[in-house]
Amino acid sequence: MEKIMIDPITRLEGHGKIAIFLDDGGNVAESYLQIPEFRGFEKFCQGRPVEEVPRIVPRICGV
Amino acid sequence: MSNNDKAKFAFYWASSCGGCEIAVVDIDAVILDVAALGDIVFWPCATDFKYKDVEGYDDGFIDITFFNGAIRNDHEEHVAKLLRQKSKVMIAFGACSGLGGIPGLGNFYTTEELFQQAFEHSPSTVNPDNVRPQPSYDVPEGTVTIPAILDSVRALDQVVQVEYYIPGCPPQPQWIAAAVTAYAEGKLPPPGAVIAGESTVCDECPREKSDEKSITEIKRIHLVENDPEKCLLEQGIMCCGPATRSGCEAACVVAGQACRGCFGPTDEVVDMGAKLVSSIASIAVPETQEEIDALMAQVDDPAGYFYRFSLPTSMLFRSIHDMTEGQ
Ligand code: SF4
Ligand code: SF4
Ligand code: SF4
Repeated sequence: MEKIMIDPITRLEGHGKIAIFLDDGGNVAESYLQIPEFRGFEKFCQGRPVEEVPRIVPRICGV
Repeated sequence: MSNNDKAKFAFYWASSCGGCEIAVVDIDAVILDVAALGDIVFWPCATDFKYKDVEGYDDGFIDITFFNGAIRNDHEEHVAKLLRQKSKVMIAFGACSGLGGIPGLGNFYTTEELFQQAFEHSPSTVNPDNVRPQPSYDVPEGTVTIPAILDSVRALDQVVQVEYYIPGCPPQPQWIAAAVTAYAEGKLPPPGAVIAGESTVCDECPREKSDEKSITEIKRIHLVENDPEKCLLEQGIMCCGPATRSGCEAACVVAGQACRGCFGPTDEVVDMGAKLVSSIASIAVPETQEEIDALMAQVDDPAGYFYRFSLPTSMLFRSIHDMTEGQ
């Protein structure tokens, strides 16, 4: 199946790409949005002093 | 660069929060200087260029790439190498790119530990099959891919050569403007330079320092009323100012919070943790080694304070990493 990639998705903050699969007639059969980001805040906030967490989590998104 | 051959600029974000992109916009009128100086040829956050456009550029086509974000996955590593090849000058922009930054805190854990918390144990996760991100995944129509997470977070210069660093989380407008102006006037410093202050945050801090031995115990900032006129560290509150490069005008301390070191170490500081331990010891009331060890034991998360923004580039991490690599 023909695949069109939109990579990266632009003019937004954050990372993403879209895979669009076309059928034999050239119409969209299916499309998939992939979010390729992972940093692990869920883990690395653990064990930090609670008063420090407001100084860490703003870096999840600074927009 | 002739007059009709404008400079080419690129901006890129790897493992980042977007704050560095906002910092670029925050340079206000200087952004017009950037626009007058050159054309933007890649900036996913603001313009619609694709990776294949960059792949099509000649090597060295881009004059300066401002690269923010750490290297957390193999795609970011690939784009860092691609932009390096296409750029005359690479600037590590912001703490994530220059030092590893907040995403670098992931280096305290294995990838599996990070995944386990995010995709299995966190209270808001429902994932009975324990699905993990798959770099390649077959769907009925074909295959879709996402990047593979690397074993550890790296700063930009641990992946490619970097000419300059603009530190901060995020960088401050005056240093971005200083870099742009230096480029426009052909006065960029020698490669390797950090475009910020040369002394420490303490030197810029308006709080009064007595330099007397004053720390009797380590205190947590929210549990005490601190004297707003006096040095936080001398009051026993952890502050990374003595080890941290100047240039932010002690922004956090002025706002009533302690410095957490986002500008990274000064040229003289080999290891932020070692420098901070010696700074604390030098103004501690206890004098014997045992007493000082007992005082330091009151610091509840020393590695998290000392290397908040710089774990991947710290001596601590590099030595642990080298040890485990050698096994
Ligand atoms: S340095 Fe700070 S502001 Fe810039 S991307 Fe990293 S977390 Fe965000
Ligand atoms: S230790 Fe912190 S509060 Fe004290 S002078 Fe340095 S920056 Fe200011
Ligand atoms: S005071 Fe420290 S943590 Fe705050 S902006 Fe300045 S260098 Fe960064």
